[in-house]
Amino acid sequence: MFWLSLEVAIVLCLDVGFTMSSSAPGEECSLEQAKKIMTKFVQRQVFAESKDEIAVVLFGTDGTRNDLASRDQYQNITVHRSLMLPDFDLLEDIQDVIKPGSEQADFLDAIIVCMDLLQKQTIGKKYEKRHIELFTDLSSPVSEDQLEIIIANLKKTGISLQFFLPFPVDVDDGGGDPSAGVHSHIHRNPFPRKGLTEQQKEGIDVVRKLMHTLDEEGGLEEIYTFRESLERLSMFKKIERRPMAWPCQLTIGSNLSIRIVAYKSVKEKVKKVWTTVDAKTLRKDDVQKETVYCLNDDVETEVQKDDTIQGFRYGSDIVPFSKEDEEQMKYKTEAKCFSVLGFSRSSQVQHCYMGNQVLKVFAAKDDENAAVAFSALVHALDELKVVAVVRYAYDRRCNPQIGSAFPYIKDAYECLIYVQLPYMEDLRQYIFSSLKNNKKYIPTADQLSAVDSLIDSMNLVYEADDGETFEDLFKPSKIPNPHFQRLYQCLQHKAFHPNEPLPPIEEHILEMLEMPSVVKERCQGPLEKIKALFPLKEVGKKKEKMTAQDIFKDSSEDGPNPKKPKIEDEEGSFSIMKLAEGNVTSVSMFLQISFLKEEQLINRIDQFLENKGSQYYMKGINCIRVFREEAVKLSKVQCFNDFLQALKSKVEDKALADFWEIMIQGRMAFF
Amino acid sequence: MSDWVSYYRGEGPQEDEEEEQDEERAEAVADYRFLGRDSLVFLVDASKGMFEPDGDGATPFDMAIQCIWSVYTSKIISSDRDLLGVVFYGTEENKNSADFKHVYVLQELDNPGAKRVLELDQYRGDKGQVLFRDTFGHNADYSLGEALWACSNLFSDVRVRLSHKRIMLFTNEDDPHANDSVKAKMARTRAGDLRDTGIILDLMHLKKPGGFDISLFYRDIVNIAEDEDLGIQPEQSEKLEHLMKKVRAKETKKRTLARLNLYLNKDLSLSVGVYNLLHKAYKPYPVKLYRETNELVKIKTRMFNAQTGSLLLPSDTKRAQTYGNRQIVLEKEETEELRRFGSAGLYLIGFKPLSVLKQHHHIRPSQFIYPEESLISGSTTLFNALLMKCLEREMMILCRYTARQNTPPRFVALVPQEEEVDEQKVQIAPPGFHIIFLPYADDKRKVDFTEKLPASREQVDKMKEIVQKLRFKYRIDSFENPVLQQHFRNLEALALGLLEPEQAEDLTMPKVEEMNRRLGNLVEEFKQLVYPPDYNPNGKSVKQNQASDGPAKKRVKVEISKDELRSHVQKGTLGKLTVPVLKDACRLYGLKGGGKKQELMDALTEYFNEH
Repeated sequence: MFWLSLEVAIVLCLDVGFTMSSSAPGEECSLEQAKKIMTKFVQRQVFAESKDEIAVVLFGTDGTRNDLASRDQYQNITVHRSLMLPDFDLLEDIQDVIKPGSEQADFLDAIIVCMDLLQKQTIGKKYEKRHIELFTDLSSPVSEDQLEIIIANLKKTGISLQFFLPFPVDVDDGGGDPSAGVHSHIHRNPFPRKGLTEQQKEGIDVVRKLMHTLDEEGGLEEIYTFRESLERLSMFKKIERRPMAWPCQLTIGSNLSIRIVAYKSVKEKVKKVWTTVDAKTLRKDDVQKETVYCLNDDVETEVQKDDTIQGFRYGSDIVPFSKEDEEQMKYKTEAKCFSVLGFSRSSQVQHCYMGNQVLKVFAAKDDENAAVAFSALVHALDELKVVAVVRYAYDRRCNPQIGSAFPYIKDAYECLIYVQLPYMEDLRQYIFSSLKNNKKYIPTADQLSAVDSLIDSMNLVYEADDGETFEDLFKPSKIPNPHFQRLYQCLQHKAFHPNEPLPPIEEHILEMLEMPSVVKERCQGPLEKIKALFPLKEVGKKKEKMTAQDIFKDSSEDGPNPKKPKIEDEEGSFSIMKLAEGNVTSVSMFLQISFLKEEQLINRIDQFLENKGSQYYMKGINCIRVFREEAVKLSKVQCFNDFLQALKSKVEDKALADFWEIMIQGRMAFF
Repeated sequence: MSDWVSYYRGEGPQEDEEEEQDEERAEAVADYRFLGRDSLVFLVDASKGMFEPDGDGATPFDMAIQCIWSVYTSKIISSDRDLLGVVFYGTEENKNSADFKHVYVLQELDNPGAKRVLELDQYRGDKGQVLFRDTFGHNADYSLGEALWACSNLFSDVRVRLSHKRIMLFTNEDDPHANDSVKAKMARTRAGDLRDTGIILDLMHLKKPGGFDISLFYRDIVNIAEDEDLGIQPEQSEKLEHLMKKVRAKETKKRTLARLNLYLNKDLSLSVGVYNLLHKAYKPYPVKLYRETNELVKIKTRMFNAQTGSLLLPSDTKRAQTYGNRQIVLEKEETEELRRFGSAGLYLIGFKPLSVLKQHHHIRPSQFIYPEESLISGSTTLFNALLMKCLEREMMILCRYTARQNTPPRFVALVPQEEEVDEQKVQIAPPGFHIIFLPYADDKRKVDFTEKLPASREQVDKMKEIVQKLRFKYRIDSFENPVLQQHFRNLEALALGLLEPEQAEDLTMPKVEEMNRRLGNLVEEFKQLVYPPDYNPNGKSVKQNQASDGPAKKRVKVEISKDELRSHVQKGTLGKLTVPVLKDACRLYGLKGGGKKQELMDALTEYFNEH
């Protein structure tokens, strides 16, 4: 197994010499800038839960602490932190503990200390890479004596080196071709061009020599400015998951199998779960959960867990079904498999994928025969425009899936892509009214052409200048999930400021979610046209939870509702709906006329309730309210109370608890 | 508890649970509580005409019973809270609360259960018809109006709140009261009452010799739900599968997941309803029963402080995550706040040609949108214009989608779908857009691909022959979930006291013999072209491929010294060790660590910090 192969050992080597902390008025000093970059970098590592280990070496410190130090050698260089996983202690150190020194030290000496540290602390472990990141303003005296040895050693040990400087190296250096230097886009970010000192120029020469010798081609590209680094680090890094290989055989019938290996290629990244902690002690262990089982009787008699058995609902029945029996009788997946059931036209399986992942299936590694057989299958599917419908079971313990495997051919590789298909039980067959058979909803030619120009103006994909490739202005798959960016931002803030509220969402995150500004400008006109041509009108707020307040709002607002379907007069049929349609005023009129006949009113109310629907409840309640008011006026309180008492028992009887709830909320109580 | 969840919900260890789905499920339950239950009455014509066989097919009555029976069994699996009932009319016997003649309520509205399924089962097939005739008889002197009245009484007798009320009327008589205008008028009046009280009446008209003419009578009777109007009448159902299709399409109430705005820009929007046309059906959670009486027990969970034993209210707790060896604590409200990026809605980003949609960018089942007039009137016309143009130009709409206020946004592609009806005029594809969820950069993983080794023309062609032999037409409802089916057959057997559960046919297994027969020599020919004679693709590979299966390998003890452990603890690199190693280490020092990696690490860290 190559478990450790993806990890990197990194030394952050920071110049804290006195020049680093001096700055022009209004500017941040180099040390602060460097610390910011280090902070961002370490934060990214922490939240990505990276297994890379990080050490910190400072130079220019007042004291000295390193393995190589002797009387006058390697002075003012401090190993601040050994190689270990980054954590919040390190972040706090960077923010608060690392202070500017009053000395200076040779950055080449510092590199040697870093190399020594990397050599010693990585003994016996394997790392993919060992790496030094050096932050300095190059203001301290440097002696080139050891340059050759350093270069030879870096090459020999394979340790890589990056420089982070407050200024670009091609500024004011008087020699060399600027384009061979740092990234071109730096020129767009002008730096405060305070004149570099002679010492710094000398330093630049050394850096140049060093990096150029290390790597003739790209060495100089490993020199970064503070500012560009900050920009690059502003996004939190995504967690790299090691892909897990799933070896299996693809079978077609019982006589043909091809050795394959599959990997998850797309899968929604899951967030860490929140643990519940005690609000006072903040300890997880202080929160215990307890489950009790009790009978459904008046006193809720508790029973022991051991006295309970498992059951399932089968419609209205509850079937006792012990775990053991269930285990015994349940469907058993024989073994892992990737078996073809047949082939179907690819157009028949679109837009109906289930599951939450995609597998990429390849021929097994290091098996030429499998590779050829697999390639034959992929190309056969591709040429016939069909997909394989397969039964896929991850292993014995897992439920089998049905899925579609379709060919995917790239320059570098070819594979099958597997996505789960739904089972019959997963389908919801709903019918929707026809749009094309309803004249009311057919747009006019003008309206259609307005939509046409909207699509033209908002097309995100256009042909590139070469006429062959396409440019896509907006690729969601290149955007990091804003939720995680936000989560990390908040966690980080809370780690240092536990008692402050959450910070606002960072501007660059919000920008990333918006349509490209070119498109925004282009679509203004067409959108105006759409607005003019399509009559759109807000008709009401979303149906919210019905509260008593809504129901008991002022009766004057409770006018006829235009949304309700029109009721046509049916010959001789009595319709409750018609009565229910009436608003409160008409109810009241009706009452005044026939108040003496309370019975009739009570019957109506009953009728509303029979229908068990909130619109009828409202009508019912309106009637009751008017009843109450009139009862007060006519001092017939007892009559109302009797009615209410009767209603209450009726409500209990008919399972109209929700109606009663609304009544109570509306304080429609007894006198 | 975590084990349980994976046992009942997930696809096994490789699937991570998704919080979203939990939310959705919770929503569905809440929906029931708030809106009430769905109810459906099957009203079946039991007069003689329904029992007359036509050619070789089943009688219309048998088709109706088969169909109702299958709705019952599928409701038990998919939505056992819905209420179902069965009423016959045109019988000699009668049973109903109003004592109408020739109307027999076989089953009042209730949840479907084993006994009811069994009862229906009796009337299936030829034997069933004989039994039916003997039990209930026929009489043509019925009144459809009374039958409808009896149905509406069923709805009002129910003691729970109903959200959706529907009657499905099965008949093959297109003019039942041709000679009795009083009964015809009464039926129309009753139908009008049903409409007024919000009860949907669907006609499932079955085969009538000479054709079923809806215009004679039923046009005034049926009451199509406003949101299901296809603008055309479906054909009569001559085959069971046609009838099934019609019934399936209407048996569940369409529920919106959400109603929200599709914003073209800040101040221009139309409103849409979001629907789940695909929704994973899970094995239901088990319930707990008291051993002595098999009665349901209530399960109560409470939180208490381990130190003081006092009860903890939710407000006495906070939420935490640990990163970089530090526990970071947030208020519960803050964990919700940080998911908030703006109000719910679909926000237009732009249009793209359909061809750039990558099929392999799939992270979740798609959803579906259809215009909604209840928030913004005029939405349907604009929606339809967008749909027509996207279909015509083969474009899709790219949007940012915030499903609920506390749900972080995702990018989605709205893929247009043209409406389609089949030969029976039953809708098979509704008009609207599919919401296809697109992955973020974090969701994609780099994989270690195998170098390709292209096959020759001859090899590809041979494989094409094989593929051609095994072609079939995939239909989305072709496969039943064998796990669910077996589970419910087991329950059914237990509920009905059967000795052996009926074995569900596992449609997911390849039909190997049939395949081999169809392929004949092609497989041998292909192998000869591709594989050397001594090659065995089924043999275990030389390398450590067994790791996933071989129990021998698992038991290899990975010893780790105390010093190493200590150094890991000090450097915070314990996480690099595997769970088995950590477990062994815990065992060695007698630590109780629990099953999770973090718990094991915590235990070891604590131990070494103290010792």
